[in-house]
Amino acid sequence: MRNSALLIAAVVLLAACTDTKGSRATSAPGGTLVVAIGGDVAEAFPPFVGDENGRMVQDLVFDRLAEIDSSLATLGDKTFAPRLARRWTWAPDSLSIAFDIDPRARWHDGKPVTASDVRYSFRVFTDSSVGSPVASLLTNIDSVSVRDSSTAVVWFKRHIAEQFYDVAYQLVILPEHVYGSIPMDQLHTSEATHRLVGSGQFRFSEWKPGERVVLLADTANYRGRPKVDRLVMTPVDVTTGESQLLTGQADFMEAFPTDHVDKLASNPNARLLAVPKLGYTFMGMNPYEPNRKNVAHPIFSDRRVRRALSMAVDREGLLRNVFGTNGRLGHGPFPMGLGVADSTLRVPPYDTTAAAALLDSAGWRRGTNGMRSKAGRPLRFPLLVFNTSVRNQRYAELLQEQFRRAGAQVDIDRVAPSVFFPRVYDGKFDAMISSFGTDPSPGGARQNWATSGIGPQGQNFLRYSNPRVDALLDSATYSFDPTKRKAYASSAFQQIIDDVPAIWLFDFNFTAAVNRRIDLAPIRLDEWWANLADWSIPTDKRIERDRIGLASAAPKP
Amino acid sequence: MRRRLAARLWQSLVVVLIVTTISFVLIRVAPGDPFSYEFTTVSPAIQAQWRHQFGYDRPIPEQFVRYLASIARGEFGYSVMRREPVAAVLAEVVPRTLLLTGLSLALSLVLGIIIGVLQATHRDGWFDRVSSGFLLTLYSLPDFWGAMMIAFVFAYWWQLLPTAGLVDPALHEFMAPWPAAVDRLRHLVLPVASLTLLSMAGITRFQRAALLEILPADYIRTARAKGVAESAVVWRHALRTALAPMIVLLGVMLPALLGGALFVERVFQWPGMGYTAALAIDAHDYDVVTAVVVVGSVMVVVGNLVADVLHAAIDPRVRE
Repeated sequence: MRNSALLIAAVVLLAACTDTKGSRATSAPGGTLVVAIGGDVAEAFPPFVGDENGRMVQDLVFDRLAEIDSSLATLGDKTFAPRLARRWTWAPDSLSIAFDIDPRARWHDGKPVTASDVRYSFRVFTDSSVGSPVASLLTNIDSVSVRDSSTAVVWFKRHIAEQFYDVAYQLVILPEHVYGSIPMDQLHTSEATHRLVGSGQFRFSEWKPGERVVLLADTANYRGRPKVDRLVMTPVDVTTGESQLLTGQADFMEAFPTDHVDKLASNPNARLLAVPKLGYTFMGMNPYEPNRKNVAHPIFSDRRVRRALSMAVDREGLLRNVFGTNGRLGHGPFPMGLGVADSTLRVPPYDTTAAAALLDSAGWRRGTNGMRSKAGRPLRFPLLVFNTSVRNQRYAELLQEQFRRAGAQVDIDRVAPSVFFPRVYDGKFDAMISSFGTDPSPGGARQNWATSGIGPQGQNFLRYSNPRVDALLDSATYSFDPTKRKAYASSAFQQIIDDVPAIWLFDFNFTAAVNRRIDLAPIRLDEWWANLADWSIPTDKRIERDRIGLASAAPKP
Repeated sequence: MRRRLAARLWQSLVVVLIVTTISFVLIRVAPGDPFSYEFTTVSPAIQAQWRHQFGYDRPIPEQFVRYLASIARGEFGYSVMRREPVAAVLAEVVPRTLLLTGLSLALSLVLGIIIGVLQATHRDGWFDRVSSGFLLTLYSLPDFWGAMMIAFVFAYWWQLLPTAGLVDPALHEFMAPWPAAVDRLRHLVLPVASLTLLSMAGITRFQRAALLEILPADYIRTARAKGVAESAVVWRHALRTALAPMIVLLGVMLPALLGGALFVERVFQWPGMGYTAALAIDAHDYDVVTAVVVVGSVMVVVGNLVADVLHAAIDPRVRE
């Protein structure tokens, strides 16, 4: 049973991607796509990838054993299409799956993909010296064995609902003959991990940090060649990206400034592509002292105060202020695109009178200057926000004003991402505005909100811990019954909302701009680039950069 | 003269060493290191292993000696962020910054001198007042703000020129020589114009003041009395004398120009020393940050040295 929101989103996506001018003649492959990306590609070698830009490069250059379809349903294997594995066979006890590698699959250096590549990939992803962010999602996989050169057998510790998803979605297959000779603890510093050899429909051509990443169509790919020749990714700031889209210098920008989308309506080069995305942004409140991790925070350790602050915020007003009509309100610790999302959960309402009463009852009384204090300590805290996000900074300013009206003083602490994330990981903050991008499984929420997500292998920065939530999220992850699964997840999310570790601000919204000459393929909620190989540029719409041709674009020996 | 030059060389070496030491120590005592931000999922033990591999766990004086040895070998350390020797990074980015600053310096000198002369010869006239007001406004603008305004107006609002990068990332390498040159020039216009406008104001003010000091001099009056044309008096006789202090100004301007280039490169995403240093600072890429500072300081002291030598060459009083 699909979540209704997901169905609606899928319809929206298909509508958004349909060319309203009618069908165009089928054209020969060709053209160059220039994608303006926000920020640089930090890492693109799959076991290291932690950011979206790196994930995009990884997914275009490398393949998985099987690929999830646009429904993003994570139960069983029915929603997965063959990729490197042309078929798979479950063992009678469901504790192992034998993947039959497609004999047509080749690495970009021409060598065949083999079962031992699967075994090697599992080793790399789970080796502690590699420290892959994905390692904690592969804990149910016991081992990978090689039955013969084309058959890899994945062994699981337990039979669970998402065991196929675990291996197919999380494990990217790497070429052992390219990287296998590098010691695991040397991979992070090896130049080889900046020269990517994969088996995807695009092959790696060039990576100049801060300048560009170039991928070329793999014309001999076992899945067929992409419909464009070249993909050039250029890291730009928001203003530059906007300018490049409007002037036709770039073809696609994922995060077009929401307050400038009206320019796209009349722009001859670019058009708007607005679709939801799997991620949400919140204001987190640290229940512990920033510098003394086991000491309760004088303000945020009290659930009444957290709830009162949440009730003092007009979330819908803030959303309208920042996004206009293009925003999507946060409903809790999940994005609405998630299969188990539930829009009926009860979030603390906007009620300034009740918020004031709660703060009074918690001992935070208004002084003559209108600000609250308790036992001589003012209700004042710094709000950490990273200075590269215009939206988050704007939210910080609006929150500051709403909290001021409630009698709380907020000092906005704008820092660079290189300072923000270490502080957040170390718990060195009082309150912060941050985001979680999620994967399609309810199990992904465990990384962010379960006790097991606390520590270096997880992302539970707020060190939120509730045994009931842990149990409910486990049940949601391991249940084979979709109805029960959603019920468990809803209960877990409601419990988290009731504990008020955060104020739920907005869901990620994909306000992309795309050049009008591009024909898009359906956009997948979790990764807009999932079907990028099917994007095309009709012959009659091609411009100078589309006519370069793959032969000229190939790297010189 | 030789002795003086040797002394200046020695001073320059000391300056570079001091700058190198300060930058080396500062980046290392700042919170974080190349492995603490990017690889947060890696256990502390593994991170410690990497620090050991790169020698970042050694005492700072020992690291410093090793780094000096690495500079002496022309290596400048290793970039963790870019996975390549820093020497290779420098070989790529230093010429780009030299191109940007060199063009800006040449343009700002030529324009600054011409405008300064015109201001001095039309003292208190409408041109002097209008251009002085305009240049004073430019002079008082912070570098990054001025660059951002130029980018906004010419690239964002009017969309006349490209906003970022060295060249068209998708087309340049496939262009014929002439269109490729035009493409490179189009990408150069805004960053060079920003840097030129911001540094030209100082030169103009200096040139105007120097010329105003010289125009009432006796030998200028004599030249006029002999019937030498006014343009020849100004451009041949007065300007020659007034240019000598400009050489000193050149030495002073170099650090400011390099400093300005850091901001301008950031605004226009010009992948030179400044842009690379900004990325390296974000990633705590120790060796790249230190190397950029070292190279920058070398460029400044060499510039000053050349200015001193030139000044001595054309001014006998300095030689004596």
